[in-house]
Amino acid sequence: MDVSDILASQISKHKSILVEKDVPLDTDVGFLTVTDPSVVDKESYDHDREAYLQSTARDGIQHLLAALFSLPTLPSPEGPLAQLPPPTTQLPRAKPLPKPKPPTKWQRFARAKGISSQRRDKKIWDDERQAWVPRWGWRGKNRDEETQWLHEVPANADADHDPSKEARVARKERTAKNERQRLQNVARAQQGRTTATATGTQVDRKRDINRTLATTRMSTASMGKFDRVLDGEKKLRGVKRKFDPIEKSVDAEKSANLALIKQIGNGAPGGSSLKKVKRDGLDSESGGNGGAGGVVNVRKAVRFASGGQGAAALARKSVVGSGSDGRQKRRGKR
Amino acid sequence: MLRVVKPKNARSKRALEAREPKEVEDPRTVIFVRGSHTGEVVGSVMKELMALKRPHAISFSKKNLVRPFEDATSLEFWAHKNDASIFVLGQSTKKRPNGLTIVRMFDGKLLDMCELGVDQFVSMDAFKTSKPQPGHKPMLHFASELFDTHPRFIQLKSLLMDLFNGEVIESIYLAGLEHVISVTVAPLPGQLASASGDQDSGSLPIVHVRGYGTKLLASGQRIPRVELVPMGPSLDLLLRRHQPADPELWKAAMRRPKLKKQDVEKGLGKKRKNLEVDEMGDLRGRVHVAKQDLGKLQTRKMKGLKVRAGEEEEEESESGGGGENDESNDTRPMKRKKEKGV
Repeated sequence: MDVSDILASQISKHKSILVEKDVPLDTDVGFLTVTDPSVVDKESYDHDREAYLQSTARDGIQHLLAALFSLPTLPSPEGPLAQLPPPTTQLPRAKPLPKPKPPTKWQRFARAKGISSQRRDKKIWDDERQAWVPRWGWRGKNRDEETQWLHEVPANADADHDPSKEARVARKERTAKNERQRLQNVARAQQGRTTATATGTQVDRKRDINRTLATTRMSTASMGKFDRVLDGEKKLRGVKRKFDPIEKSVDAEKSANLALIKQIGNGAPGGSSLKKVKRDGLDSESGGNGGAGGVVNVRKAVRFASGGQGAAALARKSVVGSGSDGRQKRRGKR
Repeated sequence: MLRVVKPKNARSKRALEAREPKEVEDPRTVIFVRGSHTGEVVGSVMKELMALKRPHAISFSKKNLVRPFEDATSLEFWAHKNDASIFVLGQSTKKRPNGLTIVRMFDGKLLDMCELGVDQFVSMDAFKTSKPQPGHKPMLHFASELFDTHPRFIQLKSLLMDLFNGEVIESIYLAGLEHVISVTVAPLPGQLASASGDQDSGSLPIVHVRGYGTKLLASGQRIPRVELVPMGPSLDLLLRRHQPADPELWKAAMRRPKLKKQDVEKGLGKKRKNLEVDEMGDLRGRVHVAKQDLGKLQTRKMKGLKVRAGEEEEEESESGGGGENDESNDTRPMKRKKEKGV
């Protein structure tokens, strides 16, 4: 019996699932996306646009479905689920990557010591109740000691000894300690996050505190000499003077001397403002008196000459009097 | 900027934690914003896109004075407030009729955007077919060489993929794939170089966006034959203004999480060398062995050849050979030989 006819008729019933393209299609199964990089056929596009768009889409989707249906599947209550590979197209994220949490003090210690901590379960087995109960919180196991109906009382206990209350206080203390440690960890993490700026301010703060402390210690009647010394308090030390080495290289000596000469020429840049004002005053006086060298006090001389009226009045007078004294006139203009 | 709120109760704390950055991100929420004047066409386009995007869509149905290319502050505010990262803005003006702007955000800041003009629009209602259920993922089909070469179209493809299918999923129910969004670029009017044509949007070809429903037919094999049925919406879009992403922001947005060790072992990320799966599905590896040093080959052990503890050094110095120290040792046998000869 020849079955080839039957087979052929069976095959002809089904349309082909093969897609033939000149340029291979680019599928991204993870994003259920297929890209057809071939150039658009202008003739068929112009002839019947909608039919052309639909046929290209069909070919592409057939290709994508072939890839999807050949994926490994896992059974589920709804039906088989195809396991998708991770997508190949890179799309931008909506939010930046999560930052790793800074380790707590205990975690750091454990890592340094090589302690591998296992997570404690939230639930704990209660033999009396024959059930898993929470370790802490509502109906927590850590309250058993307070709520038990019978307490052991030590022989030397006070008359008002309340074991239940004591257990409660101890538990509250543990909770408070944990909270305190948590806050410290948070603060440490916060500090670590801004390390670059924090170190600068921290150093400044330390220096300020030291300076304030030194000032207060010196600010007593005996300038700190007869004050009561606290335990572990160190002797206050001033700034130690430092001297340059006597022998220097020729270059270093030369440059240092040149810098000194330059300072003399310009007026010391590091000098106090008072000195600067004084020097400025001297300069202007010597300029005004034509090199008299500050022997005459200009301000007093003006006051004397104008009879207490001031430089402006003197100038007016000298203009009216057609310049009786050249020297006074010049001064008046200033 | 919104003030940073400290959660006062557990519920708000959970809500805030859900908004924190995650390694594998949630699907993007899209906000559909109506501009100062939207018009009938753009209004219905947004409605239909939103129907496809549900349940990850929020509608801003009131008029909003928003010009994304001039000032993005209100977009950033909305993104922060709603935890959304894509906007679709509809605005129709005399200069740019029926405009649809897709805006993508990163970290609450504007990343990139593209303005599209709706040229023709046929609603889903015009096709008498069943519509996709909310939450079903579409299959995407892009057809043009420009999606790989032209910067504008690369951006458009990226935006559309993010809009419709940006979520990374592990598994999918194949029978639930019931609709297709096909994006095809019309043939080029002239020669469009890949780099040029960036400035004059007028010369860019039209983009056809079509929605199809799928029909899976038996093919006698495991893979079914697929037939498409027009389902809508069908849009013809013109490319208008755009704003590419700032390179630094883009780089930050493209940063990937470090691969887990098990994933690397599975062969993700780095290419696994010298491993291949053959036709039978067996994993085959190729191992490279260094050249064997035959000098160290262990041959038959005999008592006479055994090196004793004391002798070891002497033997080594002799085998090292030719040293000046050896002279005294060497000369003696030589003399003996001579004597014998004489």
